Amino acid sequence: MSRALSSELLKLRTTRTFYALVGSSLGLVLLIVGLAAALDNNWEGNSTPPSIDLLGIAFLCQLFALVLGILAVTSEFRHGTITPSLLAVPSRTRLISAKLAVHLGAGLLFGLATVVLILVLSSAIFSLRDIDNSVGGSELLKVGLGNAFSIALYAALGVGIGAVVRNQVGAIIGALAWIFVIESLLTIIPGFEDTITKYGLGGVAGGLSGSDEFTDGGELLAQVPAGLLLAAYVAIFVIAGTVLLKRRDISA
Amino acid sequence: MAQAIDVQGLSKRFGDKLAVDDLSFSVEFGRIVGFLGPNGAGKTTTLRALLGLIAPTGGTATIVGQPFTSLSDPAGTVGAVLDGGMFHPGRSGRNHLRTLARASGVSDARVEELLELVQLKQDGRRRTKGYSLGMRQRLGLAAALLGDPRVLVLDEPANGLDPQGIRWLRDFLRALAAEGRAVLVSSHVLAEVAQTADDVVVIHRGRSILQSSLPELLAQHAGGTRVAGPDVGRLAELLRADGAAVRAADGDGSIVVSDRDGVQVGRMIAANAIVISELAPVAQSLEDVFFELTGTQGGPA
Repeated sequence: MSRALSSELLKLRTTRTFYALVGSSLGLVLLIVGLAAALDNNWEGNSTPPSIDLLGIAFLCQLFALVLGILAVTSEFRHGTITPSLLAVPSRTRLISAKLAVHLGAGLLFGLATVVLILVLSSAIFSLRDIDNSVGGSELLKVGLGNAFSIALYAALGVGIGAVVRNQVGAIIGALAWIFVIESLLTIIPGFEDTITKYGLGGVAGGLSGSDEFTDGGELLAQVPAGLLLAAYVAIFVIAGTVLLKRRDISA
Repeated sequence: MAQAIDVQGLSKRFGDKLAVDDLSFSVEFGRIVGFLGPNGAGKTTTLRALLGLIAPTGGTATIVGQPFTSLSDPAGTVGAVLDGGMFHPGRSGRNHLRTLARASGVSDARVEELLELVQLKQDGRRRTKGYSLGMRQRLGLAAALLGDPRVLVLDEPANGLDPQGIRWLRDFLRALAAEGRAVLVSSHVLAEVAQTADDVVVIHRGRSILQSSLPELLAQHAGGTRVAGPDVGRLAELLRADGAAVRAADGDGSIVVSDRDGVQVGRMIAANAIVISELAPVAQSLEDVFFELTGTQGGPA
């Protein structure tokens, strides 16, 4: 297993995909955070410290992590590298497990980096502008880790989705359409709105990120149950993807 | 000891198409076996089933007595170059080999050794999207050799190679077999394996239609001797009386004696004082043999 892990880690590091996705998402997030912290004048009198508020922008990195996870599996099918990969690691369960572990780990580091950079940048700007930004240590830990874990779990979810769908474009478009379009459309169904808001993919990630303004109102799940539910979604896709991969003929 | 490769009663059905139909053959260590058939005959399906990538509908395919997926050291047992992309276009050739080396527990030093061997040292840092077809084939070969395997499976390795590359590959495969390794190499062009293979397995529409050593195949399908001249009619009668198989060659009045060589026919001519203008061995091309066996015609499929 450690050989497969080491191989997957090197695969992640040896194409530009990883650097491009992480770099562009961090650049985008920091740009938005920087502009909001520097230009917005409505921070005073807010119930949550402004830096904690701005951590919400980290959700953009969730989407990039999701795409990263999808690419980990679908690019193997797209370029036919699945054949040499399976010749080196014949157990398909082991191959997917290694991808899952590597992307969970890389996603967590990516998430922590996102959180730290947002906090450092926004705190620096707020202190220059003399805006009160006193953040309690426990809240910082809760929201920071919540955001980092939701990014890690989205990367893992991407691996599962990629294994189920295999087609690169289809998997990415399908996953983004689900999050941005289909979940919103489902909330139109009467009596379904609260369920989707609370238990949908976007909702559980929001709950896991732990921002109080929503969880207090009961619209979202509390952090731990939200995290467990998101992990369960990941497990469903990864297990389904592994079962399908074991049954499929690899002919390209 | 178990056969290097043993395929027994292998079948594979895709939907309503039987791609491989009750196919059996084996490959011994130290031998190069040419796996021949026209495009679509089921060669690639067979090789993929052998390597655990395709689940057979029936029968077994084993490497050193075990199914591929049960091998404890797959990279050290069998290496394969299969048809298709196989590389991420944005990853360098060297890094491609390194990712596979890590998965197989092979050192990076071995990667450098192989880059040298397949003459890709200079281009190792380049991304594979800039590689020529020949460079891709050589990179694929390097990947197959990572674990120093005793069995090699190559699907159409000569595709895209220039004549020098084909010659290099031929010498290379001969050297590997001389070291006691087993090599199974598929092709749809008989001439490609004719100078390399010890044995041939010819398949058509998923079924085995011929398995023999290459010299036997050539002997069975040797072309015979062609004779032209004013008196070939009398010669044909004499040869037939002697029990030879004689047929008229196409149109020009000459005859072909398929089971007598030039010396035997020459003696007959001399003994009977027959005048001839031409006596020449007929080289039936290997392609013709192949087409005859598979019942297909030359030209684009």
